[in-house]
Amino acid sequence: MTTTASPSDPLLALSGVNTFYGQAQVHFDLSISVARGHIVCLLGGNASGKSTTMKIILGLVKPRSGDVTFDGASLLGLSTPQIVRRGIASVPEARRLFADMSVRENILMGAFVRSDRAAVAQDLERMLALFPKLGQRLSQRAGSLSGGEQQMVAMARALMSRPRMIVMDEPTMGLSPLYVDRVLELIGTINQEGVSVFMVEQNASLALEIAHEAYVLQTGRIVLSGPARALKDDPRVRDAYLGGSEAA
Amino acid sequence: MSSWLDYTINGLIVGNVYALVAVGLALIFGVSRLINFAQGSIYLVGAYIGWVAVVQLHTPLPLTIIVVALAAALVGLIIERFGLRPLQNSARIAPLLATIGISFVLDQIVMLTFSPNPRALPSQLPDVRFQVGNGTIGPLDLLIAGVGLTSALLLFVFLRYSKLGWAVRATAQDRDAAMQMGVDVNRVNQAVFGIAAALGGVSGMLVGMYYNQIDTAMSLQATLKGVVAEVVGGAGNVPGAVVGSLLLGLVESYGVAVFGTSYRNLFAFLLLVLVLVLRPNGLFASARQAPPEPLTGTFIAPSRPVRIPRWALLIAVGGFAILPLFPVSFYVLQTLINAWLLGMLALSLTLVAGTIGQVSLGHAALLAIGAYTSALLSSSFSVPVGLAVIAGGLMSAALGTTLISPSFRLRGHYVSIATLAIGEIVSLVILNWESVTRGPIGISGIPPLSLFGYDLISASSVYWFSFAVMVVLALLQGRLLNSHLGRSFRAIRDDDIAARAYGLSLNRYKSLAFIFGGFAAGVSGAIAAHLYSYINHETFNTQQSILALTVVILGGLGNVVGAVVGSVALVGLPEVFRIAAEYRILIYGIVLLLLVRFRPQGLLGTI
Ligand SMILES: Nc1ncnc2c1ncn2[C@@H]1O[C@H](COP(=O)(O)OP(=O)(O)O)[C@@H](O)[C@H]1O
Ligand SMILES: [Mg+2]
Repeated sequence: MTTTASPSDPLLALSGVNTFYGQAQVHFDLSISVARGHIVCLLGGNASGKSTTMKIILGLVKPRSGDVTFDGASLLGLSTPQIVRRGIASVPEARRLFADMSVRENILMGAFVRSDRAAVAQDLERMLALFPKLGQRLSQRAGSLSGGEQQMVAMARALMSRPRMIVMDEPTMGLSPLYVDRVLELIGTINQEGVSVFMVEQNASLALEIAHEAYVLQTGRIVLSGPARALKDDPRVRDAYLGGSEAA
Repeated sequence: MSSWLDYTINGLIVGNVYALVAVGLALIFGVSRLINFAQGSIYLVGAYIGWVAVVQLHTPLPLTIIVVALAAALVGLIIERFGLRPLQNSARIAPLLATIGISFVLDQIVMLTFSPNPRALPSQLPDVRFQVGNGTIGPLDLLIAGVGLTSALLLFVFLRYSKLGWAVRATAQDRDAAMQMGVDVNRVNQAVFGIAAALGGVSGMLVGMYYNQIDTAMSLQATLKGVVAEVVGGAGNVPGAVVGSLLLGLVESYGVAVFGTSYRNLFAFLLLVLVLVLRPNGLFASARQAPPEPLTGTFIAPSRPVRIPRWALLIAVGGFAILPLFPVSFYVLQTLINAWLLGMLALSLTLVAGTIGQVSLGHAALLAIGAYTSALLSSSFSVPVGLAVIAGGLMSAALGTTLISPSFRLRGHYVSIATLAIGEIVSLVILNWESVTRGPIGISGIPPLSLFGYDLISASSVYWFSFAVMVVLALLQGRLLNSHLGRSFRAIRDDDIAARAYGLSLNRYKSLAFIFGGFAAGVSGAIAAHLYSYINHETFNTQQSILALTVVILGGLGNVVGAVVGSVALVGLPEVFRIAAEYRILIYGIVLLLLVRFRPQGLLGTI
């Protein structure tokens, strides 16, 4: 790993990223950075390229040009498992649990890259303290849980790798208002424990409540960025995302 | 006279053997959505390694089992590493074709090493049978049951309690999510190929001992049976594969009890087609399960086809047309006649597999239908040969399309399985429907080709006739592809969901493609029948189906000129280089593998 990383450098940085699916360009010169210990939110409408940004970070899709660095070192040459081992965990879009495996197995899959068994067992207990509802569901099929419960499992699973950073793709999508609040609260808790968070959201008003910085993506281009507080009051964001039915 | 209990025991034992093959297929399908057509070859390799161990090295039975398992696993690992891993980012069809190529290569290597003659594989177990109720059971039965149960137990423990086992299950359920947990999917693939190969190899050895005979024909049979059992149980479902295998074993055994041995496979394939049509996700799939197809990515390798100027085509056609006027040898004409016949089959397959994306592995059945129709009409009903050949084409178009139509809603690899099964069914019906087809005896004394009362006996007249038919078919097909219809065909291949959204009726278009393709293939088979003057149920076999597939990939999927060029190349080059007959299949397999890896768009490009 390079030694140039200093505490003031961003933990994660995308710089000048251009991404294509075949002929179709999805990202145009995308630059995003996530400071250590911060929650950064990427806002954008449908098909603006948010999920693809997650995939770029995780190495599931490779950009045609530009760079992605984590802690000062480029991630481009690495496979997804290697990137995970560097300390990035994910909560994928629509949660993507292993539906036929039990809740316990799902959570423990999150610790796949670890070999310290005793500590993993302790962390499982920690997760059950953090997500008390999952305690009674441990041996149930993950696919049989409600959406909110599945989101809890997905978050617990991500935390099990003891990541330095978690990336989340629309963590509140499709959840009941009660669970939305719970998820946002948990993201705050996770962040206070020192984990940086990069999250993608359509629900701007909620995301801006907890984020430090935010970026707005429109058809593959960053059109706005800055501290979350400033964006919340920005009329352009309000018009685009905070008006109408979105602000539930 | 055996009792019902005996048939039940036999069914369960055979089912156990199938299960060892099918479980491996299910594991592989689970993690990589691939039907591994090389599974039977590993089974064959296992049987022959067992033979070497037992007969030449005199190993004791437990050691034999371990040696076979390890050696077969090694073969599986090599296949995964060098045959399939390089294809990870290739077109969807590439890994399937690669496993077919690998199976040809492995089978031929075994055949060349050990000769095609069957060998005895003694089990080293005492030849006694114990009375159980009104049936009997022997030590070998118990061994097979024991190996089956032990393997199932080991597999269960592996999947449930080991870290790699968890990775296998997670990858099977959601590959991307597993990668995001840090699972190295290559290691998972390696693991399942190794396990599948070990189980398959041991299975082949046990079967060899059970019948005390091994031969190279075992390979395809094992793949077919394993695939049947796996699909019946639900592709990718490991416990389902075990139940499917036992069910298949019982169905076959009872079928044999009632109807006789030659019906064994017929029941297997009918069961497969029934399941494919009625419950394509297998008997045990719950409704929530999404069908495992389609995979992402393009179906065939995209490319810009080589444009051949019209004058060059005209010169080529003219040159071949006047060839017999020159003093060329009989041998050259004979070779080219074979190329033209294969060309017709390739035209048919390039339309069905390339243009509309239904990769048929049973195309030889269309040859057989055309051949039998024409042969029977001309020899039993004195229909003039010219008319009989056309009738053969029409029959092939009608019957072939009817047989495949229930499978029109299937996609991707399932189409290949269905066509393979239908091909086998046609061959088995020909074998068993003695009153019409004369069964295993075949049809001899088929009259030679004739046109308007003139017999086409000389090599040059047969040459002209087959060449002319092929050129006409190629022209028609070229027309078709440049029309609106051709574009609709390709739209269906590239994205059938979108094509349906645009209001295209998939069934109608698939039918049209199969009707046209069936006619071309039927005519080819019919002409062949009159040239050979004798045909039986094995004249048109799976090997020819695969050869045709290699031809169309060589030429470029969907490419009409490519189909003909590919035929001339694959028939002609082995002659030019005087390659001995027994090496040819090996060469075809290697050509297929190299193409898939290095030039998936073929010589002239896909269209
Ligand atoms: N695997 C893929 N292949 C081709 N196009 C894709 C693929 N995934 C996404 N796209 C396209 O890329 C664009 C951005 O998609 P995505 O990143 O999923 O957007 P978002 O998450 O913002 O809704 C969309 O137009 C989508 O159709
Ligand atoms: Mg998205």
